[in-house]
Amino acid sequence: MVQSILDAISLGGLYALAALGLGLVFGVMRLVNFAHGELITIAAYTLVLTVQFPLIVSILITVIVTSLVAFLMELTIYRRLRGVNPAIMLIASFGLSTVLQRVYELIFGALPKSAVVAPFLSGAFSIGGLSITISSVITVVLTVIILLAMGYLVERTSLGLQLRAAAADFKTARLLGVRANRLISAAFVLSGILASCVAFILVIQNPEVNPYYGLNITILALVGIVIGGISSLRGAALGGFIVGVILSALNTLLGNGRVYAYSWLFFAVLIILLVKPGGLLSKGNELERV
Amino acid sequence: MALLEVSNLAAGYGKVEVITDISFSVEPGKSVGIVGPNGVGKSTLLQAIAGGVSASAGSVRLAGLDILGKKPEDIVRLGLSLVPEGRQIFSGLSVKENLALGLTGRKDKKGAGAAIEKMRELFPVLSTHENHQAGMLSGGQQQQLAIARALISEPKVLLLDEPSLGLAPTVIDDVFETLRQIIELGTAVVIVEQRANLITNFADETIIIREGRIQSRLTPADAANSDSLARTYFGAGE
Repeated sequence: MVQSILDAISLGGLYALAALGLGLVFGVMRLVNFAHGELITIAAYTLVLTVQFPLIVSILITVIVTSLVAFLMELTIYRRLRGVNPAIMLIASFGLSTVLQRVYELIFGALPKSAVVAPFLSGAFSIGGLSITISSVITVVLTVIILLAMGYLVERTSLGLQLRAAAADFKTARLLGVRANRLISAAFVLSGILASCVAFILVIQNPEVNPYYGLNITILALVGIVIGGISSLRGAALGGFIVGVILSALNTLLGNGRVYAYSWLFFAVLIILLVKPGGLLSKGNELERV
Repeated sequence: MALLEVSNLAAGYGKVEVITDISFSVEPGKSVGIVGPNGVGKSTLLQAIAGGVSASAGSVRLAGLDILGKKPEDIVRLGLSLVPEGRQIFSGLSVKENLALGLTGRKDKKGAGAAIEKMRELFPVLSTHENHQAGMLSGGQQQQLAIARALISEPKVLLLDEPSLGLAPTVIDDVFETLRQIIELGTAVVIVEQRANLITNFADETIIIREGRIQSRLTPADAANSDSLARTYFGAGE
């Protein structure tokens, strides 16, 4: 039971981190970046391929490589398309995602690359006769630390204030002096850092990295930001967390019927959206009074 | 010398030209009003000056520097701020955070504390609601916040798009009294309004726009002649 709760919290936290990365970019560009999954994939490959280095060095290289890919993604593709119809941006992100998957296949091969990134995190310990995996505890601790750091950045810093303002109304934010290029690049770099964090946690749990490694979590994180409230960073994180917890609970509760976990998950999502179409944290104009 | 000089400006959206051949200037401590019916391009004019809409012809000079084609975030740093139509405050952020966003456009970050203090003096009501969510302020208070947020970057030129929109008459008086103080401090102000009599009485010069072009220019003396104003504004007798 304790292990199941830990698993649910850790999966929820993991999805919250992935959703936050997507939410940051959506907030400033109104772009659902499907290629976020490929940031997670390149981060995972980098972790596996730098396993011979001390862990901290491997993590640093991963963060730098992934942030650089995220930055280049914005600079070379999305910046040129800024201002076009959102549907075109969406298709472009689909295209970029597919192209990057093929590029990874060409570079790293179609077969999975595998390595034990942090061997000291494998194994389990017992509390009162209960066996708890070290990786699930570390995942929860890491996720909480990263979410707190992100919370600080978004809520307490000037960059965070600009990100929140841009998410609400980018045009007005620019009229006040918020530098569009700089802010959007910062959002992409931050999403790259978050993708690195997600990849690190994922690789601990599943070290078999293939060209589609980040796809599944990205789709579910997208579901998360929709149910949490697509225009709110808090909503994105909360939605991602809820999706992770529901999925983990379904996997535990359904037993052999876990093949239907996704069906039940999407059923729950539909119910949430029918009750709160704008997402759980949407306020609409409820707080405005003239 | 004029702080803001707009010459033969044309702008619009895509291939549709909304304003054509607009020229006017405003000096420090002076104000220009722009009036006209709905949809004649008043807001487009302000957006084109502030960099929010691309201009297709003409020039806009701010303190002698050509700012046409520059990004809005660069124009605000050069000393021109716009209070957009509908105030566009960030309702989910606190009053304090809205004001802090205004600091983004300041060139001189050292004077930020003094600028915030100055806004507190000019708009005391904002100090008392500093930690409240901006969306919870009344319409008049939101307008004051929008003006304070624009002023905190200490612009040489302040553009306001329909500051009286949705406000009660007494609140409108308060807002215009504040604007009078801002002008007295040396800021050049351009105000777009639909209420011709209000702005003609207030501004040093009022420009009437019809169908995207300047139809006529009025002084406060013309405001006294309501027949003349009505004829000019509504096109009566044409």
